Amino acid sequence: MLKDFLEGKPLRHPLHPMLVHFPIGLFLLSLLLDLASLAFPSVPNLVRDSFYAMLLGVITALIAAVPGFVDYTDIRSDHPAKRTATTHLTLNLIVVALYGINLGVRSSSLVDPKISFGPLILSLVGIALLSVSGYLGGRLVYDDGIGVGRHKRRTPTPESTLHLSMANLASNEKSDVIFVPIPEVDRLSERETLRVEIDGQVITIAKIDQDFYAFQEFCTHRYGPLSEGGFQDFKVQCPWHNSCFDVRTGKVTQGPAKVDLKTFKIEMRDGKVAVGLPRAATP
Amino acid sequence: MKWSLDLLKGKWLGHPLHPIIVHVPMAMWPSALIFDLLSQWQIGGNAMVRLAFYAIIFGLVASLLAVPTGVLDWSGIKKEKPAWKIGLYHMMLNLIAALLFAINFGLRMQDFREATTVAGVPLTLSFIGTALLTGSAYLGGRMTYTYGISVARMSKAKWRKIAEAGRANLPPE
Repeated sequence: MLKDFLEGKPLRHPLHPMLVHFPIGLFLLSLLLDLASLAFPSVPNLVRDSFYAMLLGVITALIAAVPGFVDYTDIRSDHPAKRTATTHLTLNLIVVALYGINLGVRSSSLVDPKISFGPLILSLVGIALLSVSGYLGGRLVYDDGIGVGRHKRRTPTPESTLHLSMANLASNEKSDVIFVPIPEVDRLSERETLRVEIDGQVITIAKIDQDFYAFQEFCTHRYGPLSEGGFQDFKVQCPWHNSCFDVRTGKVTQGPAKVDLKTFKIEMRDGKVAVGLPRAATP
Repeated sequence: MKWSLDLLKGKWLGHPLHPIIVHVPMAMWPSALIFDLLSQWQIGGNAMVRLAFYAIIFGLVASLLAVPTGVLDWSGIKKEKPAWKIGLYHMMLNLIAALLFAINFGLRMQDFREATTVAGVPLTLSFIGTALLTGSAYLGGRMTYTYGISVARMSKAKWRKIAEAGRANLPPE
């Protein structure tokens, strides 16, 4: 419940990217006022004004950090964006710490007409790091689709990818399709998914209406992650641009995607749910 | 001509520019309201009145850059998509909010150096402006987080490679 709230699901918009406007804008304002105090020493109180802008910046940064942490934990551990997110998080913590120190350093000289060298340097370094970090945060959204369409998904998304192989199974099967038993499917709730990789083939396994369906992980439009998609009846919706596919047939039911998904057969093998892959895919 | 369009779209940066620039007005104008309110309770003395003034002007300057980048991003959305209409409302609300803060700025120019509280009319303008901006920014966020505008546009090649490696059925390039 609390996690859903911090992820902004009731608002249908993630909270972290909303809140970060404030520290970014206020730290910039603070630096501008520092620079203005050097350029126009006759204008009174710029140093004090800069301090208050920075103070509000630190307060809002700490508020923004909370949903930021939650969003971070929600990224699949083997997602290519996880490292970017770790850098983003680390840089932000450093920036907040620097501004905390900055506030302490300048608090004793608020009546100065000009900002002194030490706190000015701290502000410049803070803005430099924040620019990089903010840029990485933007890349997380616009390159890697982190947080995009997450509110459409009601259940938790996979925490990592299961890696399986059919190498040892090939000899037991006589048909052209090899069935690979999938561990962990028993713990899936309705409309939950597993992300599975079998000898390179990446598959989403979804539980719908007590049955399991297997289809390719990547949307055929911009290759969004269907294991993080939303479900309605027997349709999966891509979190990124809302393309819909029938999980039973792989057919596109709503664009922008035009090409159907690969689907895979699910059968019971020795009492276990197994997904069928063509033998030709054996390495 | 094309290079200036690419510049405004943020291609050189690998990141759309509009959502970067809007951090400034989006932070400054609601912050101006916060400073206005603090000044009503005599917190921070004249500093709050001055800060509100500086915040509004900084927001106005940045919004001059936010407009062309935003219009350009919007012009790339197909008219039949739901995001097109949302973008239109987003733009209209933003223009009204910017206009209100420009008037608000004009009203403060005379006495922001001495006043210790923000007067009723500019305070009201900050309220209305912030309310409109919040609604508008929410619509802007919906365009990204619900409709995926600009999402995976510049990283298309990277994701295609990942999908190919994952043996997905894909459209021809």
